[in-house]
Amino acid sequence: MLTLTVNGRKRDVQAPADTPLLYVLRNDLDITSPQFGCGLAQCGACSILLDGKEVRACITPASAAVGKEVTTLEGLPDRWAKQQKLSPEQAAKTLHPVQQAWIEEQTPLCGFCQSGMMIKATELLEKTPHPSDPEIKAAFTTSGPSAHICRCGSYYAIVEAVRLAGTIMAKGGAK
Amino acid sequence: MSNSNLTVNQNIHGATLSRRGFFQTGGALITGIGLLRGANSTNSLNAALPESWVEIHADNTVLIRTGKCDFGQSSIYTAYRQIVADELDVTMDAITTVVAGDTDTTPDGSGTFDLLGRGVINLRKAAAYTRQALLEIAAGRLGVAKDNLSVKAGVVSGGGKSITYGELVKDQNFKLTIPVTGDLTTMFGLVVSGNPPMKPVSEYKYVGKSFKNSIIPAKVTAKETWVTDVKVPGMLHARMIHPATLGSKLISAGVVDKKRFPNSQVIVKGNLVGVVAPTEWEAIQASRQVATATKWTEWKGLPGNGNLFRFLRQDADWKSAPVSRSGKSKGDTVAALKVAPKQHTATYEMPYMKHAPLGPTMAVGDVKSDGTVVVHTHNQNPQALRGQIALMLGISTDKVIVKTYSGPGHYGRSNGGNAGAEDEAVLLSKELGRPVRVQWMRAEDFQWSTQSSAAYSDVKIGLDASGKISSYEIDHHMPAMQDDRPIGAVLAGLPTMEAPSEKGQRLANITNGNSDAWVYDGVLNLEERAHGTYQVGQRQSPIAVGLRDHSMRTPGQFQQNFPREVAISEAAALAGADPLQFRLDHAKEPRVIALLQRLRAESGWESRPSPQPKAATTGAAALKGQGASVMFRSGSYWACACQIAVSPSTGAVKVEKVTMVVDPGIVVNPLQLKRQVEGGIIMGISHALYEELTFDESGITTKDWLSYPVLKMSETPEIKVVMLHNPEVGNYGQGSEAANALCAPAIAAALFDATGKPARSLPFKPAKVKELLKA
Repeated sequence: MLTLTVNGRKRDVQAPADTPLLYVLRNDLDITSPQFGCGLAQCGACSILLDGKEVRACITPASAAVGKEVTTLEGLPDRWAKQQKLSPEQAAKTLHPVQQAWIEEQTPLCGFCQSGMMIKATELLEKTPHPSDPEIKAAFTTSGPSAHICRCGSYYAIVEAVRLAGTIMAKGGAK
Repeated sequence: MSNSNLTVNQNIHGATLSRRGFFQTGGALITGIGLLRGANSTNSLNAALPESWVEIHADNTVLIRTGKCDFGQSSIYTAYRQIVADELDVTMDAITTVVAGDTDTTPDGSGTFDLLGRGVINLRKAAAYTRQALLEIAAGRLGVAKDNLSVKAGVVSGGGKSITYGELVKDQNFKLTIPVTGDLTTMFGLVVSGNPPMKPVSEYKYVGKSFKNSIIPAKVTAKETWVTDVKVPGMLHARMIHPATLGSKLISAGVVDKKRFPNSQVIVKGNLVGVVAPTEWEAIQASRQVATATKWTEWKGLPGNGNLFRFLRQDADWKSAPVSRSGKSKGDTVAALKVAPKQHTATYEMPYMKHAPLGPTMAVGDVKSDGTVVVHTHNQNPQALRGQIALMLGISTDKVIVKTYSGPGHYGRSNGGNAGAEDEAVLLSKELGRPVRVQWMRAEDFQWSTQSSAAYSDVKIGLDASGKISSYEIDHHMPAMQDDRPIGAVLAGLPTMEAPSEKGQRLANITNGNSDAWVYDGVLNLEERAHGTYQVGQRQSPIAVGLRDHSMRTPGQFQQNFPREVAISEAAALAGADPLQFRLDHAKEPRVIALLQRLRAESGWESRPSPQPKAATTGAAALKGQGASVMFRSGSYWACACQIAVSPSTGAVKVEKVTMVVDPGIVVNPLQLKRQVEGGIIMGISHALYEELTFDESGITTKDWLSYPVLKMSETPEIKVVMLHNPEVGNYGQGSEAANALCAPAIAAALFDATGKPARSLPFKPAKVKELLKA
């Protein structure tokens, strides 16, 4: 049995230790935002944060997450609330600035890649609060195991949304 | 007003309004199908479920239903609500629910394509009929003649009185039955007929304004149920073991190593092999083990992608299907060409490309003990899939329900009714008597799905002494584009729709049509011919598979527009003319002229002939170039300008700026159209620079995102989208697919502009560009 910490909660899992984290999250824990895109760490649809660093859940064995903090799209609002020390009432009605920006900019087309894109954006903005456009593009292209692929072509909208998310974060969460 | 439960029938512009007595609470007007449809399918196992388009509720809310699904276009959640709100005279907020896709809760079928053309007309007419019925009811209730009533935001007023739609239906059971034609479970589904009065464009309140997509918050906050999330009690996980080649038959299936995979099991049906297990990870591992022990016959029957165009030109059968001549063909091109002082003759090549959804196809099949079948999927044409599943199993469509969910974009791959995994999930479920989830892996999705057809075109252009086109001839060659046979049924040897042939009905016919509407009406002698053939390998494969093709984005039109537009740019160079002005000089349609003038004004276009004065093929500096393209599609005119930089040392092409001007007629939702066009541009650049299926003599060798590279975010250019509102045209503009198609010919022209070397064979990968520069 493995014990994982996912979005701030301890979870026991019966799956074999070599099971890719993606299947454990999706099938055992019902955390379904990371998507199966390639199983090869080539697209970014399954991205999660492991101790704040973006990794590909499709090739990460579940055992590699033991003792670390797993954050998925489901956990972004809480992550932000904790960082901002929001009250439970405020936290309950607050989305992560990245999510707010993704809605405001109408970023997703089909949206299948966007959980991974928002994870990448969160990683970037936590380290680089005001990235330039080239820095944004580089983050999604060369900073991880592969570029994050959007087949519908939302790259332009993503750059705009990351810019807006940075602005919202700088204001402490207010649009 | 009647006080009994009598049914009262009234004729509403050819529809029938009936009142079936009273409800104790609530009440509604439901606009739906009521006509007998002969042997055609009904849409539900449960006769009580509504086959309706529009429901007006007593609380003033409105529910709409459509058989279409969302694949990222947003239309069913944005434009459909706007269009219905205007036809019905209700607010956008009043339309609280959009029911989409599921075959048991939506009325009309057909596919997720042409969403604002053929796609929306059913709902729009249903809304128009509904408004007339509500006016009729209001006239009775208020005692005011219908002609003296007006409606604003769901409130009917006249003669100093007013009443809301909700009050009109309160405690009532109204049904409005509207006339339909068509066949529910075929490609184009049911079509609402008749001509209810529609709102004049000048009175639109919601159409033309930006509205956000109501599905996005759920997707961004992980609340949306994606197809990948579906779990059915008792469900098993499966992985398929597809044949070793596109023509292999099964010799023997491997056996599960029960020591390693005690709960796994192999299912074999004809040439269909699957491995099922209680957990996904066991199914993946066990299927890998079984695959290595599974034996297939060998087959070589494909030309290999290196020989593709030689094969198509020399060996493919272009004789079985009749040649199509375009409706605009006219004059005597041969005679005009003979006397033309300048001639341009060239061949243009388009490779096979993949739809490549970001998530490989998956579905859950659930064949129940009473023989009914439920399929959970993400599919562009659920009703057509329903027909295919029924055909495969030899059961009535009434026994099949297709449930749909959000999923990755398909770009046309499933618009004829299957995405890949559905029929396989059903067959495995039927064998096991349990629900089965089939998920294809990345390589399978590249190697066992359909692709966009390769094509080539031969062009001959004659210029007269003044440098105008006096003769234009083009011969388009493309293998059949639409193979909708479910692959699992084919492998299992079960009934499917026919494979493409010269005898095939409609889309299953190999005849190639002229898809790219001619826009240069000033050309006097024009000959456009389209030649069709079988899919490559289809007749050679012992299992009738080969390279199966399927419509993608602007199917067939991309394959015809690329050669035309690149040839026009090259002809302009031959004439010593600016390629934009050259297009203007041959256009007569005012919309085309306005479009091109706007493109010139908005794109930073340099008015001069190509190649550019500093064009070169060597040197350390990046070479700059510009190119343009034009397309007419679905009532919309599109024009594109691309500015690029080519590195002679590496052959790398960087698209620096794309300007896209669209005259769609009516811009329904500027915000969403802009995002769609941006997306189309990105995919279009990707097609132009990178995308090409590779295959050897046995099968597809493309297997992942390394062997099928697509555009990355770092390559995103500056994008400018310009929308021309042209409401008097009356057409609702389409989204991204045309934007997609326009990039490649503009980039090819820009490459020519930068280097002086004609670029006629897609894609423009660095190695090919380096070759081009050396040539």
